[in-house]
Amino acid sequence: MTRRLSSSLSSSIGKKALMSVTGLLLIGFLVVHLAGNLTLFSDDTGEHFDAYSTKLMSFGPLLTLAEIGLAVLFVVHLALGLRVTFENRAARAQRYALERDRGSRSFASSTMLVTGCLVLVFVVVHLLDFRFRERASDGLAAMVVRRLSEPAGVLIYLVGVTALGIHLSHAFRSALQTLGLNDTRFDRPLVRLGRVLAIGLGVGFALFPLILFSGARKHTQAAAQAPAPVEVPADVPAVEEAQR
Amino acid sequence: MSSDHAAHAPSSAPNAPHALRFVLHVWRQKNAQSTGEFATFHLDDVSPDMSFLEMLDVLNERLIAAGDDPIAFDHDCREGICGACSLTINGQPHGFERETTTCQTHMRRFEDGATLYIEPFRANAFPIVKDLVVDRSAFDRIIAAGGFVSARTGSAPDANALPVPKGDADRAMDAAACIGCGACVASCKNASAMLFVSAKVAHLSLLPQGQAERGRRVLSMVERMDAEGFGNCTNESECEAACPKGISVANIARLNREYLRALATES
Ligand code: HEM
Ligand code: FES
Repeated sequence: MTRRLSSSLSSSIGKKALMSVTGLLLIGFLVVHLAGNLTLFSDDTGEHFDAYSTKLMSFGPLLTLAEIGLAVLFVVHLALGLRVTFENRAARAQRYALERDRGSRSFASSTMLVTGCLVLVFVVVHLLDFRFRERASDGLAAMVVRRLSEPAGVLIYLVGVTALGIHLSHAFRSALQTLGLNDTRFDRPLVRLGRVLAIGLGVGFALFPLILFSGARKHTQAAAQAPAPVEVPADVPAVEEAQR
Repeated sequence: MSSDHAAHAPSSAPNAPHALRFVLHVWRQKNAQSTGEFATFHLDDVSPDMSFLEMLDVLNERLIAAGDDPIAFDHDCREGICGACSLTINGQPHGFERETTTCQTHMRRFEDGATLYIEPFRANAFPIVKDLVVDRSAFDRIIAAGGFVSARTGSAPDANALPVPKGDADRAMDAAACIGCGACVASCKNASAMLFVSAKVAHLSLLPQGQAERGRRVLSMVERMDAEGFGNCTNESECEAACPKGISVANIARLNREYLRALATES
């Protein structure tokens, strides 16, 4: 039984089902992440955003557990994405002299590996920017604002969210089909939800580089013009602050 | 053999006013081991009433008369029901016409003077036998793995003795329209056989006779499909667009459902 289950999960349908479940869970994370990030715009000082981040940090080991969970989802999804893509290329050794699509193959659907890899690169940069860097003394919001006021930062973030939006525009619909939810009574509302999510997440995350770079917010200008503060003493990490 | 045959040997009919001209690039390959290449033929007296296969017949007669090897291509019923005809025209299995097999495609549907690339269905799981003929026995082995009902179902029962909801009957009939030609594999960029397998699985899983083996069937057929070297489905619906019988990708959603259900319930 267990052998059957594991071998069935590595079948063509099993692999795709795992990809879609991990992908959908990652989308779930993105929704929460975006909602949290939007607190950056809810005041002019970045206090709400910093409070939100401090609150998250206060979960300590639970937060670490969630981070490990996310990393596992990401790695499983990515590994299967690579495997599926290479198997698919190998399934037709000799290609047609002439190729003409006439189904619903699209730019997004034919570039899933490329957009996925762009998201991967972006996520690494993003984590190095904000997760694995010492917290500045003037808060995380200020760090974000500074990063997204640099042309290089804006470029990287815009490319990252654009790739994500394109990836998701095929991904959600595809996942519904992979999980067998199409052609059921749920499919219409779900397809609509997918469209809202792909556009919502793409546009939502794009707001940060766009708004911060344009300097449309007051705290933006202040933080962007302020020089980066000197290093925080290493023995006062934000977690401890939160626990007080 | 990069030949440029001028296959306009005198034909019996003088150039009729409506005769069409075509340049054909036809894939020629001796056998599975050899590497093939295109051979070019110029036809300038094609009747608009010919089917695509009749056009190839006429070309072959000329090749034979000239002492050349005729082009091998698959065909049987020539009325769109057996699924034997299997070539691609300009990169599209069965040509550009929707829901039409190659044998039912007529030369009048092509633009006069057009250049046509004629290739075999290409997929590792469908090795080339010769020229345009490919070995599609992988489909037979998938069916042999479970695409049947092994219980004796007796003679036809009275109508309504076995109640089947109208919707299910319609869906099963639509799925059963699959003629197993392999155009789905040929059109899929992943050479995936999901549309074929899904049509067979959907057909049987929707009907009462198919219930006893429902879970085991789908697991075995998918296992066989993977072992044959077909690719994975990426949900781009090229298969549905290429299918001469209009089999819907809704069947693939059903196949996925059936598979995941069997995974959870079959011991
Ligand atoms: C936040 C990040 C990501 C999310 C939310 C996400 C989401 C999804 C979803 C929901 C699918 C649909 C699965 C299906 O077809 O059933 C998918 C497909 C895919 N993903 Fe991702 N993905 C992400 C990152 C990545 C990364 C980093 C890669 C890099 C390798 C990747 C590669 C792919 C590929 C190749 C497919 C296409 C699979 C196919 O169509 O068969 N994804 N993604
Ligand atoms: S020859 Fe039978 S379907 Fe074309």
